[in-house]
Amino acid sequence: MIDIPLALLFTSILGAVLAGFVCSTMGVFVVRMNLSSIGYCMSHAAFAGAAFGLMISVDSLISAMVFSFGVAFVLGPLSEKARLESNVVIGFLFSVMIALAFVFLNFIPGQAASGAALRILWGSIFSVGYNDLMFLLLLSFVLIFFIALFYKELLAVMFHRKLAESAGVNTKLFYFAVLFFTGFSVSLSLRLVGGLLVFALIINPTSTAYQFFYDFKKIMIFSPVIGIVSCLIGFWLSLITDFPIGASIVIVSAALFAFAIIISPKRRKGNGKQRKMGFKLNT
Amino acid sequence: MNVIDLQNVETIYEGESIPVIHNINLTVKAGEFLAIIGPNGAGKTTLLETINGILPYTAGRGFVLEKEIPIYKTAIRKEIGYVIQNFEIDPLAPFLSKDIVMSGRAGKIGMFRFVSKEDWEIVWYSMGLVGMIDFAHRPIGRLSGGEFQKILLARALAQKPKLLLLDEPFSNLDFSTRRQIEKLLNRVHEKQQMTIVIVSHDLSFIPSRCSRVIVLDQGKIIMDGEKEKILTSTMIDNIFHKKGVNQ
Repeated sequence: MIDIPLALLFTSILGAVLAGFVCSTMGVFVVRMNLSSIGYCMSHAAFAGAAFGLMISVDSLISAMVFSFGVAFVLGPLSEKARLESNVVIGFLFSVMIALAFVFLNFIPGQAASGAALRILWGSIFSVGYNDLMFLLLLSFVLIFFIALFYKELLAVMFHRKLAESAGVNTKLFYFAVLFFTGFSVSLSLRLVGGLLVFALIINPTSTAYQFFYDFKKIMIFSPVIGIVSCLIGFWLSLITDFPIGASIVIVSAALFAFAIIISPKRRKGNGKQRKMGFKLNT
Repeated sequence: MNVIDLQNVETIYEGESIPVIHNINLTVKAGEFLAIIGPNGAGKTTLLETINGILPYTAGRGFVLEKEIPIYKTAIRKEIGYVIQNFEIDPLAPFLSKDIVMSGRAGKIGMFRFVSKEDWEIVWYSMGLVGMIDFAHRPIGRLSGGEFQKILLARALAQKPKLLLLDEPFSNLDFSTRRQIEKLLNRVHEKQQMTIVIVSHDLSFIPSRCSRVIVLDQGKIIMDGEKEKILTSTMIDNIFHKKGVNQ
């Protein structure tokens, strides 16, 4: 097990808790709105952006955000008009972003920088700084405020976007707010979890919570709880095994999801009766 | 007062050149119960979505509650209850019936405002009206087709709308459930004197209180009149049996 100074340990734990909270909170919306493909591209764009930042010696957090929002800015309207199949999005932009990221990483000068490059690839316990923590804390409060204030609109949009629009809800505003906050969550969690795996922290805890509850409010509460627990156990696993923290967090969250699938009361026989009018599985 | 007033309205989907509906002139007065019938692909759903502003019209002018649709579409939608054509729902969807009914009030309550006790009272009243109060805490994905349709209707009614637009509310329902929904619509119209526009491709399920029928075919209104006259017309038989309307 690695010996870590107490202050650094506290910063890292708090970072893990906050990253788990913001990512898995946004996951509730991303999963329900079928934005996985866009979010996936955004997370890899953030990764490419962070690599670009290292290459030109700019704060990787800023460049990650610029790339992530850039992708959201392009993909959001395109996807909204249903002119782009999600498979095309993943196939094209995902691979382009990864390719760009590796090109940028290749041009990062010096030995020290290559260590930093690897940290954004798979995350590091030690890379969470005071500024990151403050930003994550601020984003957490903003998210809580946003969800509390607009819960009824968010629920309407999550259920059915066209119906919400027909009832007078500005669905576009909430769609872009979700993309915007997802971009922030991904960019701020990047250094902890790593660019390749950060999106799993958005999807896995929410998918786990979806296995247990029919009440959206409970999903909103338990998804972040599962996200935080995944991060804390992943953090501990990383300390005792010296695994990269991103990989540890994702393994834990994936294991929780697999376990949830097995014991899910919603998937037991006799539950989830198919309606005559057909059904689609989103989760 | 005219609840709906469409003047030479034409709607073309984005990226397409052929209008789905064209030369639509339609006036609906307050308290009317109107049915729009026509074969599949006639443009019935497009017409409804043009009325509530979800689809912008490309020619002509349209007013709902005497407000021009493109300018006041958000305000107009708050006064329109819309029951969408049957859509796919995940059986594991994490929504309770009562929350779905409440979601109908989201626009009406307004942004930056929380749901009040009065809003919940309206929700319970709407659920009671459609006989679904016992299903309030039932997950939406575990309802039968008819129950789900009633919840969607309660959702629209919870808006306390001045105009109710119903898109094929009877499709995919068995005979007895269709009759239940039909009775329900008659009751809502009788009790609340609401303006109702119902779209159907099934001539056998036009609610008894519906007094006016318009026939839509290939994006155009080809008949408009009293229900009895329209339904006994030979033209109707031609349209619905694909013999061509111009014969």
